[in-house]
Amino acid sequence: MTRRSFVLRRIAQSLLVIYLSYTLVFAVLFVLPGNPIKDKITNPLNPLPEAVVKPLLEYYDLDLPLWQQYLVTLKRTVTGDLGYSLVNGRPVTEVLAQGLSETLVLASIALAFSVLLALGISLTAVFFPVAAVRNAVRVLPAVFLSTPSFLVGFALLVVFSFRLGWVSSIRDEGFVSYVLPALTLAIAVNAPISQVLIQGLSKAKGEPFVTVLKAKGVPAFTIAGRHILKNGSIPALTLTALTVGDLLAGATIVETVFNRTGIGLITEQAVREQDTPVVMAIVVLVSTLFVVINLVTDLLYPVIDPRITLAARRSPRQRRGSLSRRGRRQVVAG
Amino acid sequence: MTTIETPPTQPGTVPDRGPARRLRLRDVAVVDWVAIVVVAFLVLAVVAPGLLTPYDPLRPDSNAILQAPSSAHPFGTDYLGRDLLSRVVYGTVRTMVGSAIAVVIGLGIGTVLGLVAAYFGGIVDAVISRVVDVLLSIPGLLLSMVIVVALGFGAINAAIAVGVSSVAVFTRLMRSETLTVTALPFVEASHHLGGTRRQVLIRHVFPNSYTAVLSLTALQFGLAILWISSLSFLGYGAPPPQPEWGLLVAEGREYVVSAPWLVVVPGLAITVSVLAISRVSQFVRERVLP
Repeated sequence: MTRRSFVLRRIAQSLLVIYLSYTLVFAVLFVLPGNPIKDKITNPLNPLPEAVVKPLLEYYDLDLPLWQQYLVTLKRTVTGDLGYSLVNGRPVTEVLAQGLSETLVLASIALAFSVLLALGISLTAVFFPVAAVRNAVRVLPAVFLSTPSFLVGFALLVVFSFRLGWVSSIRDEGFVSYVLPALTLAIAVNAPISQVLIQGLSKAKGEPFVTVLKAKGVPAFTIAGRHILKNGSIPALTLTALTVGDLLAGATIVETVFNRTGIGLITEQAVREQDTPVVMAIVVLVSTLFVVINLVTDLLYPVIDPRITLAARRSPRQRRGSLSRRGRRQVVAG
Repeated sequence: MTTIETPPTQPGTVPDRGPARRLRLRDVAVVDWVAIVVVAFLVLAVVAPGLLTPYDPLRPDSNAILQAPSSAHPFGTDYLGRDLLSRVVYGTVRTMVGSAIAVVIGLGIGTVLGLVAAYFGGIVDAVISRVVDVLLSIPGLLLSMVIVVALGFGAINAAIAVGVSSVAVFTRLMRSETLTVTALPFVEASHHLGGTRRQVLIRHVFPNSYTAVLSLTALQFGLAILWISSLSFLGYGAPPPQPEWGLLVAEGREYVVSAPWLVVVPGLAITVSVLAISRVSQFVRERVLP
């Protein structure tokens, strides 16, 4: 398989996954008993204003059979029309645009924080001279993984906003306002990265090339920073790309705790009010982001590690045993 | 998708478990003892909550509103004067039963799908694998929220949603384990000894590939506790006034400044149980069933 056909195949695969995730969510929401859109629009207990109901009924073609509704909405989604909110009749694209930049900034800062946290934790856990400290730090990822992010969020909020008064919990103070929510999100998602990085560093530390470098008189700091870190961090990189989805899902909790108007809070409200078109659009958006970022990481591997080639040949048995993520690991190994 | 990765077994090797040794009590580390005691308390709180606390979790007391932790109320009281210890203890059942339902659903469906995919191969495998890929491309918490939209709110629905969301992880592991074991020489040998494909699959492949899936179960149980309490924190799970850990945190958030114990105690209950359960399961896997 040539490099170009590999790239093309991965792009096609990614498009298929995005399409299927749309279909899956449609199936979950519509094929299960009841039709949430119809129920919502014609709910006798919670009537929507007539001015909102009529265009919605017309727009969603609710008299058509389900598979035709599917085709209609699919065609519109592909052309960038995500439908209308069932709560207030506004276009979904407008609703999402409102929160998207906020959440993307939050998620980016959180991603930077979690990479820094993971580096700090794993370097301390592997290289710190005192064994007691190494062992204590090694436990941190498990604790992070077991702590619900609303607890972390409230703890940070109480300590830094209410007790110390460093950050306002209400006013928007630019970057400073992002620190606590981003830290909460980072603590929630950084644990697996730390764990894999600790494993990778410990493994790379025992490789023969480290002994060679030591024998040649290279300072320990240079060995750790320049050689062991580079060699031990490839699996962690894969995992970092995979946490993007968790960042966006985790934003639901974090934005609820800190009361920030982003995609997370919009998701929370849409689920509460069963605003189906908004929920669908969010899922498609998140899964698209996830797939695109993973595709880019996949294609970037040869740039990061020249030993990796994209078009690695796989034996028939390996091919049979590979889902896409396992397959990726084998390509990396090859 | 999950935050916990299980390393795949390399084809052609059987995991080396070392020589079997008898477990001696004095070899058990302090951390493990603590974890075992915590899990024992959790079991007690599920089976007989009345033994751990004298108060009714639902009875308000107008003379004891928002009291700080004291000897009468070790964890303090909430805005209606209800004892927080009782609410946390009685809430254990909901969280644990919900997580158990979720794990049983994920494990059950995932095992069957994984076996079927690996056994039939071809188009069946391709379809199941693609669906798994798709499920993994949607973050688990978000997927369970979608399912909650379809099913409606409630404790059971939240548990089902979390369970369905974890099917993909189980399917993927079961499938790869089945394929790995199928490639081992003893499976070929049992074919040559005259076993039909189905017999070999159920009698030899399945039992040998199941251990890895079981150890994933313990991890997923901890994850299910977190997800279910997150869903009920957002208000999609058990309705108030029933005590449930995530819901307790949500109810306490209004008083987080004046009465932080209302948020901290149920929150820490979640952390401590998840840590203890994963510690105990690791202990059982490594020491009791080596």
